[in-house]
Amino acid sequence: MAQDNVIAADALQMEREWKLPDRGTIGVIFLIITETALFTMFVAADLIYIGKSLTGPYPKDVLEMPIIATVCLLSSSGTIVFAEHALRRNDLGKFKIWWLVTILLGLYFLYATGAEWHKLIYEDHLTIATNLFGTTFYSLVGLHASHVVVGMTFLLIVFITTIFGFPIQTQERRVKFLSWYWHFFDWVWVIVFTVVYILPLKVF
Amino acid sequence: MTHEEHHGEAGERSQEAAIVLPGPTFWPLVIAFGITLLLAGIVTHWAVGVVGLIVTFRAAVGWWHNVIPIEEHEEVPIDPELRPAPIQVEQRSVVRLRAGESGHRVRIPERIHPYSSGLWGGLAGGVAMAAIACLYGLVAQHSIWYPINLLAGVVIPGMGDQTVEQLRHFQMLPFFAALIGHGIISILVGIVYAVILPMFPKYAPFWAGILMPLFWSGLVATTLSVINPVMNERINWPWFVVAQLGFGLVGGYFIARSTSIRTMQTWTLAERAFVEAPGLHQPDEGKHG
Amino acid sequence: MASIDYPLEHPKAEALTPEFSFSESLYKWVATVDHKRLGLMYVVSALVFLVIAGIMASVIRMQLAFPLNHVVGPDTFNRLFTMHGTTMVFLVGMPMVAGFSVYLIPLMIGTRDMAFPRLNAFGFWIFLLGGCLLYFSYIGGGGLSGDGSAPDVGWFAYAPLTEKAFSRGAATDYWALGVLLSGVGSIVTALNVIATTFCMRCPGMTLSRMPMFVWVMLIDAWLVLVALPPLSAAQIMLELDRHLGANFFDTQAGGSAVLWQHLFWIFGHPEVYILIFPAFAILSEVIPVFSRKPLFGRPAMVGAVTAIGFISLGVWAHHMFAIGMTSWSNTFFAASSMLVGVPTGIKIFNWTATMYGGKLRMQTPLLFCIAFLLQFLVAGLTGIMLAVAPFDWQLHDSYFVVAHFHFTLVGGLVFGLFAGMYYWFPKVSGKMLDEKLGKWHFWLFCIGFNMTFLTLHFAGFLGMPRRIYTYYPGRGWDAINLIASLGVIPQAAGILCFVWNIIRSSLRGIPAGDDPWDAWTLEWATTSPPPEYNFEKLPVVRSSRPLWDLKHPQDPDWKYE
Ligand SMILES: [Cu+2]
Repeated sequence: MAQDNVIAADALQMEREWKLPDRGTIGVIFLIITETALFTMFVAADLIYIGKSLTGPYPKDVLEMPIIATVCLLSSSGTIVFAEHALRRNDLGKFKIWWLVTILLGLYFLYATGAEWHKLIYEDHLTIATNLFGTTFYSLVGLHASHVVVGMTFLLIVFITTIFGFPIQTQERRVKFLSWYWHFFDWVWVIVFTVVYILPLKVF
Repeated sequence: MTHEEHHGEAGERSQEAAIVLPGPTFWPLVIAFGITLLLAGIVTHWAVGVVGLIVTFRAAVGWWHNVIPIEEHEEVPIDPELRPAPIQVEQRSVVRLRAGESGHRVRIPERIHPYSSGLWGGLAGGVAMAAIACLYGLVAQHSIWYPINLLAGVVIPGMGDQTVEQLRHFQMLPFFAALIGHGIISILVGIVYAVILPMFPKYAPFWAGILMPLFWSGLVATTLSVINPVMNERINWPWFVVAQLGFGLVGGYFIARSTSIRTMQTWTLAERAFVEAPGLHQPDEGKHG
Repeated sequence: MASIDYPLEHPKAEALTPEFSFSESLYKWVATVDHKRLGLMYVVSALVFLVIAGIMASVIRMQLAFPLNHVVGPDTFNRLFTMHGTTMVFLVGMPMVAGFSVYLIPLMIGTRDMAFPRLNAFGFWIFLLGGCLLYFSYIGGGGLSGDGSAPDVGWFAYAPLTEKAFSRGAATDYWALGVLLSGVGSIVTALNVIATTFCMRCPGMTLSRMPMFVWVMLIDAWLVLVALPPLSAAQIMLELDRHLGANFFDTQAGGSAVLWQHLFWIFGHPEVYILIFPAFAILSEVIPVFSRKPLFGRPAMVGAVTAIGFISLGVWAHHMFAIGMTSWSNTFFAASSMLVGVPTGIKIFNWTATMYGGKLRMQTPLLFCIAFLLQFLVAGLTGIMLAVAPFDWQLHDSYFVVAHFHFTLVGGLVFGLFAGMYYWFPKVSGKMLDEKLGKWHFWLFCIGFNMTFLTLHFAGFLGMPRRIYTYYPGRGWDAINLIASLGVIPQAAGILCFVWNIIRSSLRGIPAGDDPWDAWTLEWATTSPPPEYNFEKLPVVRSSRPLWDLKHPQDPDWKYE
């Protein structure tokens, strides 16, 4: 109920006490949410179509677990954290090294995907049009890989500009958001890996 | 890199000559155009897609330079022509309705009875009702067990086959069935009473004590043949109504004399959600009382 | 505003030259990142598309006015209802959502622009170009095989009709890609709205003090963010099918046509809430101001809109009762669909309670709101009827369904949008809209709308299927269809009144002043139209009605909240 002795809060005081989240933080979080919604649909389609291919080749005939590539991608999630820490301590030398390691790990992952696709297409004659397995495999792995390519582009731009003397420490906030994006697609790979490789090969 | 903004009351004027805003740029338009061409390439000709790719790339570089290393901005001078008129204080004064004053209809019930009062009131009413029922048993059939056995017919199907003589005698299972059933229903009705009594704008004791038992009796009279055929055949309606009135009057009296509590409706959303944050709570003594 | 990287020092600005050449003012519009210009462009483009799709609807009604009529051929008819539906949903409804949020939210929460101003511009342009790509199909839709022009697969483009084998030419690709692009625009704008409401509120504007409009649009943005990607996913899959020979919806290779329906309606049902939310938002501002009472049951309103934001994600298969699901699915989706009616009912009650006992000002904005309440109630009740699975089996794909969703989207959304336009036009242009023309607009449109769509419920009951291009006489549909078609005339006349009103009032309307309605939210504390920077000093607020506090210093809201 009304309090006659309560007086209006002072504008300056309110301004000083007012704290809101960073717009970049919120932006990246909700970007990740909307990407999750997109991936969920592809994963769902994949799950529905496991074992529904009418003709071969089937996963058990041609698919091999990309263990090394997976390890590389997941460990790049760690190296990018080291790079970030180095940047926060203003240790540019260490930052460059860890950043480069992240890039190399990511590039190896992309190379492994490319090699796998080359083998599947030219040796096993599995294309996206062959059967439902091909359709879901190439679309889900391709969707993930295309996001990794986007992330990799940004990683490379950061690296190259830093090499040429761009003061990357001024962009610490943006580097943080880039690393969140990278973490997210590392962990999306865990789900893709489960759905595309583990379930058809080990479970069904 | 924080830009200290200056705040004031809504419509307040600033001493500054200009205000910093994000600068205009056409790269968002160009990149949108590039992406559109890129997709249009799928349905038209691959060359369109290639052009789209080039445009997109160029625009991405342009956009990059808009934000890195520092976001492009421009100074917009404060235009004295575009100064809002000072906000006029309303001359007519406002009288707020106080909760509970005559004409105040927004927040009813403003005070409610605690659920515990419903529980105790229900039990008290239940005892009163049972006492009247047993009195009826003594007067009409010379046995206090007779109404109890009848009530048990709700859950025990076999009761219908018993003779009046059997019904006059104490039986263990029907007794406990009737006791538990009567207790539960009394408590539930008591709680319903506690909730709805404050909602009646007027004559709450009359409603609780007289009208509701009569409504209830009417409801039972129309449905009893389905719920409890045994009781339906043997029931004495005047006594039944008296027993209901006993419940209503005693239970209503117990509930009415409990200390009422304020509802949460005058609290803000945050307070109701029990969010604790500075600035959310206005000091307000009566609220939680 | 912790995260804006502006320099601390800035020199004194040069005085602007008052005169602009044409190319300069064109540059001001195409290169703008100002949320007000972008909001205005959204609404104006949406209105242009509204007129185009409205003309299509008129042709559809002309064709159906008489049995065995021949205004257009069956192929053209299919294209007309496909383009009408697609345009209305993606190129009218969605940009209206974006336009109203983008224009009003920064003003209402007391800031200078959106959280990501350049992204805001990108969102608008990609929507507009997506719309252009869709309409380019009239020219380019022939594709290589020379078959077809505009898309003709219905606005929900069911597979396998959309597969290469059944839908030749490029028209369906234009549908998928055009809508995909404008969907990207909606998603980035939603992201922007969320970041803006979370990070840009002026001091004192806690979430519980935020205007109801902003609350509703925040939840709307959330729905866009989680509901549009399923549509994008489906469209990507469709394009993979059509161009790379993938088998997602190819039933002969084991693919599933039902998958498309699921993906589409996982998007499609939240979409109807996405579309109706701006009307909810507008009503929650207009009704209190025109009833001279604060919004009734604010916390319940917030709770209801949030509940809708989640429940509506789990009801999609009520569009699919006819495909033969398990009875468990039928029961679940029927129950959840009815559940979502509860928070919607709460909102209707609260608006009514706001008006109850208020000092109503029966001006055009409130008239549209009252019509909304009645018509949306009808739409909600027919919706609950359709949520009953056996009832739906009877009337699935009939004109009853058409009447139902036109009652939500025209009787609900469009009426709400008109209320909003009459309410905020003075702020946007600095001129009042003419009240007399407004009343003509309202009554003509309201009568015409009910002539058309109230009657079509009965056509549905009598078994008239939707999307048929003509019908034989003597089935009991003749009179109904004629009345429904005649209803187009008052509706078109109403729209003409509106357009004429806008043109005339912009040129020589009565000056509006800053605060013509004696309202309570922050946008009315600026000039009309607001300056580029919105506020000289960013405001602080202490209650959910900051202008009330300033107008009534003896009795401010913050003493009570
Ligand atoms: Cu639905």
